[in-house]
Amino acid sequence: MKSWETTGGGKKKSPPKGLTEPAAVRWALTCTVLLFLGFFLLLPLAAVFSQAMEKGMAAYLAAVREPEAVAAIRLTLVTAAISVPLNLFFGVAAAWAIAKFDFPGKSLLLTLIDLPFSVSPVISGLIFVLLFGLQGWLGPWLASRDIQILFAVPGIVLATIFVTFPFVARELIPLMQSQGKEEEEAAIVLGAGGFATFFRVTLPNIKWGLLYGVILCNARAMGEFGAVSVVSGHIRGATNTIPLHVEILYNEYNYAAAFAVASLLALLALVTLAVKSFAEWRGRTG
Amino acid sequence: MSIQIDRVNKKFGSFYALREVSLNVPAGELVALLGPSGSGKTTLLRIIAGLEIPDDGAVIFHGEEATARHVRERQVGFVFQHYALFRHMSVFDNIAFGLQVKPRRDRPSKSEIRARVHELLKLVQLENLAERYPAQLSGGQRQRVALARALAVEPKVLLLDEPFGALDARVRVELRRWLRRLHDEIHVTSVFVTHDQEEALEVADRIVVMNEGRIVQEGTPEEVYDRPANPFVYNFLGNVNLFHGRIDKGEARMGKISIDLPEYGETADSPAVGYVRPYDIEIGLTRQNPEEIEALIRHIQGAGAVARLELERLDTGGIIEAELTRGRFRELQLRQGDKVFARPRNMRVFATEDYQI
Repeated sequence: MKSWETTGGGKKKSPPKGLTEPAAVRWALTCTVLLFLGFFLLLPLAAVFSQAMEKGMAAYLAAVREPEAVAAIRLTLVTAAISVPLNLFFGVAAAWAIAKFDFPGKSLLLTLIDLPFSVSPVISGLIFVLLFGLQGWLGPWLASRDIQILFAVPGIVLATIFVTFPFVARELIPLMQSQGKEEEEAAIVLGAGGFATFFRVTLPNIKWGLLYGVILCNARAMGEFGAVSVVSGHIRGATNTIPLHVEILYNEYNYAAAFAVASLLALLALVTLAVKSFAEWRGRTG
Repeated sequence: MSIQIDRVNKKFGSFYALREVSLNVPAGELVALLGPSGSGKTTLLRIIAGLEIPDDGAVIFHGEEATARHVRERQVGFVFQHYALFRHMSVFDNIAFGLQVKPRRDRPSKSEIRARVHELLKLVQLENLAERYPAQLSGGQRQRVALARALAVEPKVLLLDEPFGALDARVRVELRRWLRRLHDEIHVTSVFVTHDQEEALEVADRIVVMNEGRIVQEGTPEEVYDRPANPFVYNFLGNVNLFHGRIDKGEARMGKISIDLPEYGETADSPAVGYVRPYDIEIGLTRQNPEEIEALIRHIQGAGAVARLELERLDTGGIIEAELTRGRFRELQLRQGDKVFARPRNMRVFATEDYQI
């Protein structure tokens, strides 16, 4: 849709009297919300950055460049780089199956997709300990073959994939359901194969919703603490992600460094929000 | 290409969408599948297209069994009720889609595709809108784009699912005349689904009336309209008056009217229903005949080519609808509340045990 389409646009009109509240009530409500937002969102954000800069720019850069911090940043990026594309793939596949086809067990699949949301992240981590730990089901077998999953990068990646699984699928299912399958049917009747139908018809229709889901998925993949904390083993310079590194620094009373590294995650959150708003805006208008 | 449907059944869960449906569409004809919603007409259309698989029975294209053939190999054009245009593509790209996704060896060159699309745009009278997006078009324009898109791949069969269902009355009439002209030009075997009897009567060469998953009558528009095979078709095609009575040994008695019914010669005293079209109710101011029914005019709708009267029978209190030509209406100078004598002509009587409605 282009800008000359004025559906829902046009000049804003104030609603007729009787459908709105008196000015005092409106102001009171608006102020309450703003105060709440300021106190619980903006203030902490400002605190993170001010604490990070407390000892000056040099100390900030030192904290971020320190080898253990660099290792944590690298591990976080690697984890996200593996888990986000995989979840992109699984999420699209699951949403496609659920939205466009009817099959037995569909509602069970929907419930399973929501499972990572409904389970506490710590439990999610423990699931992997139970599976791959030395006392776990697969632990001895893996140990005998010298394959390390727990307290190593594979465990962290697995836990992250598990926790971030629902984001893409949850974003796409309602979108794809509302779009129906007529366009796909039209494409197939016109002779398009499965791949052509997906890449030329389905994907362009869901691209902004997909981007939105990927952004949220990525934010969570980089910021995940609970599940990763259980499986990581907190080995400095090896199995610490940014959130775990922040916790260690904080527990060592190294506040400036802790906040400096934390500010990276906060920055990521701000960038995520900006891209997300952009995706939402494009999703609505284009 | 001719289409044959041979004893097709289709169930959705426990719901029978089609029961033992057989149908023959000769090559080059324009056939309407007409019926109320839930009658199975869209399911039948989708089975012809290959978008649904019949539980059993066969679909035969041009004498060749095509039941197992994949949708994309059936060479059908399908026009969806809600257009199903690709919303992120321009009109041009929508129409070109079917050509662009052909395997490389069959795919026309870019310039050939462009020429073909422009030819189609001309055919559907949308030459100036090639760069527009579906959201920028009116309903009628979208439907024509959908038709051009379906025709681009030169289908052997054109299938249209309630093609004008979502359009307003004027555009509907315009577009269905245009479709009729288009069919006369390109002669592709076409089947369209509609619940609008007027549309079917005006456009189709042949009408297939469906109800509850079965074909209840097939024929030319005249046959179906003038000689409905059963009460359902009578009710569905146009307004009709009902008269109740009994049949006994080849004679129907509907009140004071008696009609010879040799086909019911064996029937002994069975309830019956007679059907009379409103324009077959003759109105007079004086009694000419003992069969006439005395009635009061309850309501007159005098606008339009015919005047519609709502009559209340003085004997039973039942309502009769009558249609008079404008000339006859003026001649009689009828007013609301007048007493008149109504005489039904061309009554068709069915024993009610045969049909439940």
